[in-house]
Amino acid sequence: MRAERLILRGRGCAAGQFEGEVVVSHQPFGFWQGIDPQTGIVIDKRHDLWGTSLKGKAFVFPHGRGSTGTPGIFLEAVRNGCAPAAIVNVTSEPMIVMCALLAEAFLKISIPIVDALDVNPLEALRTGDRVRIDGAAGTIELVSGS
Amino acid sequence: MHLTDDERRIQAGELGEPQRLALRILVKLGEAYGAERLVEIRSAHLVASSYQIAGEAGIEIYTRLVEQGARVAVRTTSDPGSIDFSRWRDFKTPADYAARQLKIAELLDRMGVIPTWTCTPYTTFNVPKFGDHLGWSESSAVVFANSVIGARTNRLAAYVDLCAALVGRVPYFGLHVPECRRGEVLFELTPDLSAHFADECFPALGYLVGQTVGDRIPVITGIREATFDRLKALGAAAAASGSVALYHLVGITPEARTLEEALGGQTPVERIPVGRREIANVMAQMSTGQGGPVDVVGLGCPHASIDQMRRYATLVGSKRVHSGVQLWICTNTVVEEMARRMGYVETLEQAGARLMVGTCHNDCPLGAWGFRRLVTDSGKFAYYTPTTVGTECIFASTEACIEAAITGRADRP
Repeated sequence: MRAERLILRGRGCAAGQFEGEVVVSHQPFGFWQGIDPQTGIVIDKRHDLWGTSLKGKAFVFPHGRGSTGTPGIFLEAVRNGCAPAAIVNVTSEPMIVMCALLAEAFLKISIPIVDALDVNPLEALRTGDRVRIDGAAGTIELVSGS
Repeated sequence: MHLTDDERRIQAGELGEPQRLALRILVKLGEAYGAERLVEIRSAHLVASSYQIAGEAGIEIYTRLVEQGARVAVRTTSDPGSIDFSRWRDFKTPADYAARQLKIAELLDRMGVIPTWTCTPYTTFNVPKFGDHLGWSESSAVVFANSVIGARTNRLAAYVDLCAALVGRVPYFGLHVPECRRGEVLFELTPDLSAHFADECFPALGYLVGQTVGDRIPVITGIREATFDRLKALGAAAAASGSVALYHLVGITPEARTLEEALGGQTPVERIPVGRREIANVMAQMSTGQGGPVDVVGLGCPHASIDQMRRYATLVGSKRVHSGVQLWICTNTVVEEMARRMGYVETLEQAGARLMVGTCHNDCPLGAWGFRRLVTDSGKFAYYTPTTVGTECIFASTEACIEAAITGRADRP
């Protein structure tokens, strides 16, 4: 059983507000050749989320695995409204942080990113949970469990 | 972050909106990694020159920048595009797709980018020298510039590379800082492997190193000699399977004249022996299927050099590519032209091979071909093509790749 009111505190890597569902994966993720930017669906057949849509979700995964082309695909997904709307990592690598920075600068869309949390988010959160994320404060609040 | 007077003028928008926005992004990146200042760069290299990476978002971003008068401030070259610019119809690229890539080409042209369309800009018009600071993306070019040349660049991301090009600066952190270039993980080749280190062992070792170190800096001992192309193959594989941006080969690369120099006088955090068994194991992993009839053979990842073109032409000789097989050789226009003058293109084309220029299997839409089994001598292709082309992949030596193109079959090594 999880505590009714769970708040995870970490480092805010990119500002922005989110409230909605989470998708959790225990595998690292690369957006280039990992996601279809037209739909937001995971296309990497080697990944455990293959076939799952990340569109509008808070995507919780350990860390990015990244081609330098990552922001190209990510911004295309943002433009199409098919990108994850928030990202939670164990450790965010520069490529992922850059995606949010560029989306804000070029497309005026904020994607909050939080990492280095006091509790392992891969264990504390489950796919389908509803959360509230504050990217500037670096907090994740569990609104209701799945 | 400390900014110079010139940088403050850029920040205030005195040099225009593109430079102001670019500087803001670079400063934020620097602040996230504790950089105290920016550093001037000699050149930039852009990865979001391909439509497959940039997409419609990229066209919108570039269009706005061009309308605002954006011009690159330093020598800047382009990575491969998503089409062969003169032969895209032969590669079954849809016309509307080609039109979007041509639009990107026009926009980059208006910003003053040199249209090299290659992942090996260092063989064309972007040749850094030892110690130069750079703002490059394209993982295989970054690892080559850092490791083989001894220039200094972090792995910039798509669009951040353009920001660097527009202001001619990058934040000073990571691989720009001498102390951050020290090797951390030591790979020691065993004497039996060291004595028989064939061509195809270089991409295989790179693949193994990348998988093992992630983004840490590897040092490798036991390699006796390495050509330019072998170093290129090793780095590209390590940058694909891991995020390696710098490696040191003791006695070969410029910041590793001795083991002590490569490690910066420190003790390695990990020591890993590599023998023939480890190389055989990783080669087995690089092939995703059992083998059988082949429909495409991919050479030239990273883009083939003139030496590699000569080698392919010699191996093919007067033989013919099997009727059911496409033999595609990826390269850039500079090498293509020289290979044409030297007669290699004629030999290869008469045998039935095709040159794929300014692009590659990873960047082009190849769905119309329905390929099922690809054979390659590249560790980077082996890593990516099961996803990009959607095929089974067999990794093999260059000789075995040419053999597969002629016989129409390949088996697991």
